[in-house]
Amino acid sequence: MFKIAFRNIFRQKRRTILTMLTMFGGFVLSAISIGYADGSYSYIIDLFTHNRLGQVQVHKGNYLDRPSLYKTIENYQAVGDTISGVDRVESWAPRLFSAGLASLGDQTVGVRVIGIDPDQEDAATNFSKKVIKGRYLSSQPRREVMLGKGLAKLLHADIGDSTIILSQAADGSMANDFYTVVGITDRGDKMENRTAYYLNLQDAQELFVLPGQVHEIIVLADNIQHLDRLANTIAGTLQNNSLQVKPWMEFAKTFYQAMQADLQGMWIMLFVIILIVAIGVLNTVLMSILERTREYGVLRAMGTRPFEIFRMVIYEVTIMAVMSIVVGTLISVGVNYYFSLSGIALSSPFDWGGMQVSHLYTAVSPRSIYLPAITVFITSLIVSAFPALKAARIAPAQAMRIH
Amino acid sequence: MNESQTENVIVTEDVKKTYEDNGVAVEAVRGIDLTIQQGEFTAIVGPSGSGKTTFLNVISGLDVATSGKIWLDGNLISEMSGTELSDFRRDHIGFIFQAYNLIPVLSVEENIEYIMLLQGVPKEERHERVVEILDDVGLSGFADRLPTKLSGGQQQRVAVARAMISQPSMILADEPTANLDSKTGSALLDMMRDLNEKTGMTFIFSTHDEMIMERARRLVHLRDGQIDYEENRE
Repeated sequence: MFKIAFRNIFRQKRRTILTMLTMFGGFVLSAISIGYADGSYSYIIDLFTHNRLGQVQVHKGNYLDRPSLYKTIENYQAVGDTISGVDRVESWAPRLFSAGLASLGDQTVGVRVIGIDPDQEDAATNFSKKVIKGRYLSSQPRREVMLGKGLAKLLHADIGDSTIILSQAADGSMANDFYTVVGITDRGDKMENRTAYYLNLQDAQELFVLPGQVHEIIVLADNIQHLDRLANTIAGTLQNNSLQVKPWMEFAKTFYQAMQADLQGMWIMLFVIILIVAIGVLNTVLMSILERTREYGVLRAMGTRPFEIFRMVIYEVTIMAVMSIVVGTLISVGVNYYFSLSGIALSSPFDWGGMQVSHLYTAVSPRSIYLPAITVFITSLIVSAFPALKAARIAPAQAMRIH
Repeated sequence: MNESQTENVIVTEDVKKTYEDNGVAVEAVRGIDLTIQQGEFTAIVGPSGSGKTTFLNVISGLDVATSGKIWLDGNLISEMSGTELSDFRRDHIGFIFQAYNLIPVLSVEENIEYIMLLQGVPKEERHERVVEILDDVGLSGFADRLPTKLSGGQQQRVAVARAMISQPSMILADEPTANLDSKTGSALLDMMRDLNEKTGMTFIFSTHDEMIMERARRLVHLRDGQIDYEENRE
């Protein structure tokens, strides 16, 4: 039966090619779509989380919902050291936040003071590469400040200018000091660029009288998979009920939901592709059954059982599906690999979650192969079951009357 | 079933077949009682529409009789299920069709051995039997050819070999010479007659070809779905 099935597929070469092209096309389109979705989302998530937010964040209590100067992580260094011991954690960085008024000359602007450890922040988010003018903050506290480029514009500030910050310290006292502008930054987020007033963490702790304390610790993992599990592991390791550990999907819920909605669109597109494959395969298999009705009649007359005829038709489709999937895999992996390295340049870059995206990358992910392979294979088999059943049920005498 | 039925190859008892053609009931076979014995070389003859092909289809289990009983090799096939009939045809009946009906993607050898494959005959035995029968039908050296590379007469010889290879008790041939020229048809019939004498296999033809009628030892004349008369030439 297998031999007949195998040879049958070369009988009507044009039809076989058409059927296989349908399967191959469906497979390759699906594989590249999934590879593109996986690659671009991974890239955007990585960009989004690596650039600013981190993949996991640790806060005191409900800081994320109701931020307060007083909700701090105490002895942050010890907390960070514990986190860095967790498997998959690559780096972590502490941050301290407060609001204040920054003045330069006769300009005064409301700002968000962000205290960072320059070395750790740079290791985690490559922040030094976001300095577009001047230089990055010194490792040691030297009363230096970096301004977001929007804020620098509002303050009419330039490198070397001395700015004044005015706020309230944790002990209730007035927090004010001079900080010299050493750099202007562009982190890709408009809001942050317009409000960010970056200080050395120690300078910020001194300004707000929060020694050894921070409001946030961001954590970067070795990859973006299963971050919810990583967050749980970190929480379990810290054994501190007053701290909340959340993956980016929770603390950047809007961004996450937007991505999920976009993914739904991809699944709908895949469904349409598979529907086209199904209709194509059904059409060509039905045609071939109709053409060979007489032949099936002869096989039945000679004593071939109905199930054997059914099996023969299924074998034919299986052979075509396997060949299409094998060739499709080679092509899809090649295409996905190529664009995972070179990326696809977008004619007009777009903003996503405050990040400007000019290139998107594909990924050679296992699911970009096995999902289309399983789907095309099973779809082909399901839709060919009906014509196969039709062939198996052929009445020999009737079939042989057909010319 | 009585004793005589087990000794006969085919026994039919009041077999009728009615089918619908465009909503009109057509009585193709109207109660045929026929007995065919082992080794006969019999032709069922009659004009077009006399019911000979329908009768052949019914007695071979390719079609289902509307009523009546059919025993083949002592087995009541009119009460068999579809799968039982398939197995029965595989083991007891060889078919020769007007249009040869070889499987175009299989070589001559593969076409002939197909039934043995279904029967689970080992590869070496299959090959030996194919070589032997190709010699019998005068096609030695054609084993690897595809049917499309053969003439009509050669294809029909392959069909004869395919029908006989599993040594069934009967060969049913529906207009086997209709697509052949008279010389090729005559040679084929002579060969079948020789094989009939050599093997003792029963040959039953459905035809209106004079060449077959001349060679048949028994003629069953049908008219309007019934046996009109019979002729015995022996």
